[in-house]
Amino acid sequence: MKLNRRAAFAALSATTLALAAACGSAGSGDGGGSSSGGLTIGLALSTLDNPFFVQLKEGAEEQAKAMGVTLNVQDARDDATNQVNQVQTFTTQNVNAIIINPVDSDQATPAAKAAETASIPVVSVDRVINNAKVASEVASDNVDGGSLAAVQLGKVTSGGVVQLQGTVGASASKDRGEGFAQGLNIAGNINVIDKQSADFNRARGLDVMTNLLQAHPDLKGVFAENDEMALGAIQALGDRAGKDVMVVGFDATPEGLTAVEQGKMAATIAQQPKEMGKKAVEQAVKAAKGEQVQQVIDVEVKVVTKENVAEFK
Amino acid sequence: MTELPAEQRRGPGGDAGAGQAAGELLRVEGITKRFTGALALDGVDFQVRAGEVHVLLGENGAGKSTLVKVLAGVHNPDRGTVHVDGKPVRITSPQHARALGIAVIYQELTLVPELTVAENLFLGRQPRRFGLVDKARVRRDSVALLERVGLRVDPATPVKQLGIAQQQMVEIARALDLNARVLVLDEPTAVLTDTETERLLTIMGELRDQGVGLVFITHHLEEIRRIADRITVLRDGRSVGVLPAGSSVEAMIELMVGRAIEDQYPRRAGEPGEVLLSIDGLTRKGVFSDVSLRVRAGEVVGIAGLVGAGRTEVVRAAFGVDHYDSGTVTVAGERLPGGDVRAAMRAGLGLVPEDRKGQGLVLSSSVGENLGLVTMRAATRAGFVDRAGQRRRAEEMAAALRVKTSGLNQTVRELSGGNQQKLVIGKWLLADPKVLVLDEPTRGVDVGAKVEIYELVNRMTASGRGVLLVSSDLPEVIGMSDRVVVMAHGRVAGELSTEGLTQDQVMALAVQEPQQQAAEREQPQQQAAGD
Amino acid sequence: MTSPATSTRTSRGPGFALGRFLSNNGALAGLVVLAVALSILSPSFLSTRNLLNVGVQAAVVAVLAFGVTFVIVAGGIDLSVGSVAALSGMVGAWLATTAGLPGVVALLLGLATGAAAGLVNGLLVSFGRLPAFIATLAMLSIARGLTLVVSQGSPVATPDVISALGANLGPYLPVPLLVMLLFFVIASVVLNRTYTGRAMYAIGGNEEAARLSGINVRGQQLAIYALSGLFAAVAGMLLAGRLSSAGPQAANGYELDAIAAVVIGGASLSGGVGRASGTLIGALVLAVLRNGLNLLGVSPFWQQVVIGVVIALAVLLDTLRRRGR
Repeated sequence: MKLNRRAAFAALSATTLALAAACGSAGSGDGGGSSSGGLTIGLALSTLDNPFFVQLKEGAEEQAKAMGVTLNVQDARDDATNQVNQVQTFTTQNVNAIIINPVDSDQATPAAKAAETASIPVVSVDRVINNAKVASEVASDNVDGGSLAAVQLGKVTSGGVVQLQGTVGASASKDRGEGFAQGLNIAGNINVIDKQSADFNRARGLDVMTNLLQAHPDLKGVFAENDEMALGAIQALGDRAGKDVMVVGFDATPEGLTAVEQGKMAATIAQQPKEMGKKAVEQAVKAAKGEQVQQVIDVEVKVVTKENVAEFK
Repeated sequence: MTELPAEQRRGPGGDAGAGQAAGELLRVEGITKRFTGALALDGVDFQVRAGEVHVLLGENGAGKSTLVKVLAGVHNPDRGTVHVDGKPVRITSPQHARALGIAVIYQELTLVPELTVAENLFLGRQPRRFGLVDKARVRRDSVALLERVGLRVDPATPVKQLGIAQQQMVEIARALDLNARVLVLDEPTAVLTDTETERLLTIMGELRDQGVGLVFITHHLEEIRRIADRITVLRDGRSVGVLPAGSSVEAMIELMVGRAIEDQYPRRAGEPGEVLLSIDGLTRKGVFSDVSLRVRAGEVVGIAGLVGAGRTEVVRAAFGVDHYDSGTVTVAGERLPGGDVRAAMRAGLGLVPEDRKGQGLVLSSSVGENLGLVTMRAATRAGFVDRAGQRRRAEEMAAALRVKTSGLNQTVRELSGGNQQKLVIGKWLLADPKVLVLDEPTRGVDVGAKVEIYELVNRMTASGRGVLLVSSDLPEVIGMSDRVVVMAHGRVAGELSTEGLTQDQVMALAVQEPQQQAAEREQPQQQAAGD
Repeated sequence: MTSPATSTRTSRGPGFALGRFLSNNGALAGLVVLAVALSILSPSFLSTRNLLNVGVQAAVVAVLAFGVTFVIVAGGIDLSVGSVAALSGMVGAWLATTAGLPGVVALLLGLATGAAAGLVNGLLVSFGRLPAFIATLAMLSIARGLTLVVSQGSPVATPDVISALGANLGPYLPVPLLVMLLFFVIASVVLNRTYTGRAMYAIGGNEEAARLSGINVRGQQLAIYALSGLFAAVAGMLLAGRLSSAGPQAANGYELDAIAAVVIGGASLSGGVGRASGTLIGALVLAVLRNGLNLLGVSPFWQQVVIGVVIALAVLLDTLRRRGR
């Protein structure tokens, strides 16, 4: 009985591993015949729950395929500890370079140090890694984006606006909020009458916006720190969205862009995640080969409105 | 107060206050306690002296448990006074009761099964040395304490390995070490075998000699005759009288029930009919083997034997709760598949299990819900239960069984043991089985309710049903059965007609050793008429 | 058994009757206190519009919690409902939008997905003898993972029939509110009138007594977990409908809200006790709280603290009431 159970468990484990291996190979690039062939790059993502990072991953995968390198993608599910573990696993797998998209700028430091100890070059993407040596930082400026959002909101409306904040304490929320506050001074004609967190989540965005409408029926505009919340807010606003209440989002996700196109969303801020993914892989391959890399690469933050939305689709 | 007991030789903490009758530890006067709607205690008076066994006697629901809980500091009385050592006190919590020297041993023990005997004895107050538990001292003190209650076990034994009787002793030892001078034992013998009960009564006698005042609650009148110094009888929340030692069983019953009970075992046997239940060669390796018996229509067949003889195991297997290896079970000509409770039910078998709280009742549900549990399937059409019908039938059954309850919606947990047992039987009576197996149906049930349960048995057999009665209570099994099957060591040791049967004859078979059994089988026992 | 001496306390006013009703329904009392406090603090709280909003915001968690009520009454636990809701919504949306099936068929298949996931939970618990906590924890992970696999990490638009579940019927009547009330009635009927419902109380109260009374415990467990999965699927459709989009992270963590709602509603985590009305009140308590905190503009940092305190208080109130008996 005991033996049988052990055998069954072993068989089960083997099956699971085989399955996992099959799933894994389906996701990674198949090494082409170019000069970069044979290189393996590890990409440690903060989360795949957010379309923004899914696009970043897609950009990275496209670039990896074009350059003929193998890309190994891991998702930390927004948990900094997971991320450190995953990067450590990369180092034991002897990947040639590691791209880290930090869950948190401070908490990613041990992960980067682990790579540094193993003499594997690190490229950070989207967020910086504090107190660690990285070969290259690929980033777009969240603070700058927040500021642009405020200026744009000031162009299309004036008066009282509400701000839908992201997950309390998340760095993207902190940076975008800080930028928005700076931008308010530049715009001059809008003021924040209420701030609430909706966890970067569309359903929460809908609920929180519905509630805020009860408290402030005459508000003029909404700044949501990501498109998911903005789309929820638009749902809550119904016909008012784009007419007497202007919504500005952030991230330029496909659905966000559609909303801009339809005029429901006044603007969104494009960080060009695909571009960031591509650039990160490009830098990582260079670093792996020991070529010259660019210390800081700023992927431009752009305001997307109905006029220029076609460029981003 | 003239028959003062010999003053204690080494009364623990026996600093009896001056100015009151010497030796009086506890006096309760005019205690009244009302719960929503019902008056549980109505001006009860009660005293406990050092060095006496004072029995609290009464039917279920008479107020014994409430009185105990007042003494234990669980309930606050609405009126009345409690004196400890002659001083009026207000017992506010179980901790306070303990501090006053009052310890209660409930039926449900409060030991931690995973810990050892010694750890349980000193739970939460281990002697320490240099901040660490002083294991050597724990061990020494444990041995001394266990000695006091006559328990010879290694203090390092995990409590879960002890039998229930030994666990009780551990609990009593713990209470004594906390300087308990009044020890309340709430139906301790209900879960014990005869020999275990014997041991407990001996220990109680010894504690009495050490000057402890014991309050003893039991339904076994013979135990009372053996050990009681005084008996306070409660009925409907009032103290209706105090009987001296040596009072007759009849006197006790009459005071308790409020009327004389003519016959404790009112069995009315009829002419047995066709065979309804037939168990043939039933065997489960290592538990019981080659068990055969028959129950006919209109017949009560008893199964007697010592604890561990395999009685409960056989009836559980026959009902399909547990599996068996070989043999057959046939109900009214239909052979049961084995291991299938529902098939057994469909064929017309019912089982009232021995552990009513663990296996018989859903304590969190209502009276009506519990009564309808077995018949619910039959009362279901297209997935919906006919609740009006279920309610009506439950109402009728509760009335017929004279269940003392505030209504069908009352939670079963709040009922007394006897009333709970009536519900377990009642849910099966509603299903009208051809044969009903009763496993220890009157354990922890008072005399009045017992007789009512026996009358239910009579009514079943009178209407052509059969009853299989498993019981450790020998007078009951002899008094209520038409034939008795005696089991020993997982086998049928013999079958006896109850006509003129004595307890000794049953015991002689029950204590047979396996070799003896084999020899006896060559020369058949006195056979019952029916087989 | 009665004493004439103590009948002086029987004359009581109508205020007492209300008080006693509320004290017998701890969660309801909590809800009333919360509502009164909020209507004083915020003028917008008591508007019809806002109250309808609260109902809509309670709907998803309430429907999830009705399913969890079944499981908790039966003495189990279901941690997978949030993930199963997301998976069902995603399957419904994906089948219609990406695979091109008719909306109604996609909706039904989505619901079937939820029931199937629940059935797997039931199999693991009844025949696999896994603790419910572990079996449903595994399903929590599996269903969430499958949602990501199906969606490829991006939200999928829902077909009209699912979107209609999140819209209004006429100018004012929100469909989620109606669905919540409908499923409240269904849950009440299941719990009170059906064989499976009554078996839940018996199994949760004493599994052995239920078995010895001829109840097919394993079979009923399958049904109970499947029902929980089905209710989760309905909640998932509601959630997707409200957003016109099924998200891969939809209903993340909702299982905890659902369990909180059930417990606030007076159910016992050890089984055998619980009512659909209590669960509805529990879900409303959570929704009113979130709504009120938004209306009052309470800092997001403090909101989480307040929600936790209210959950603890609601259950504490109930426990104290029981102990007082």
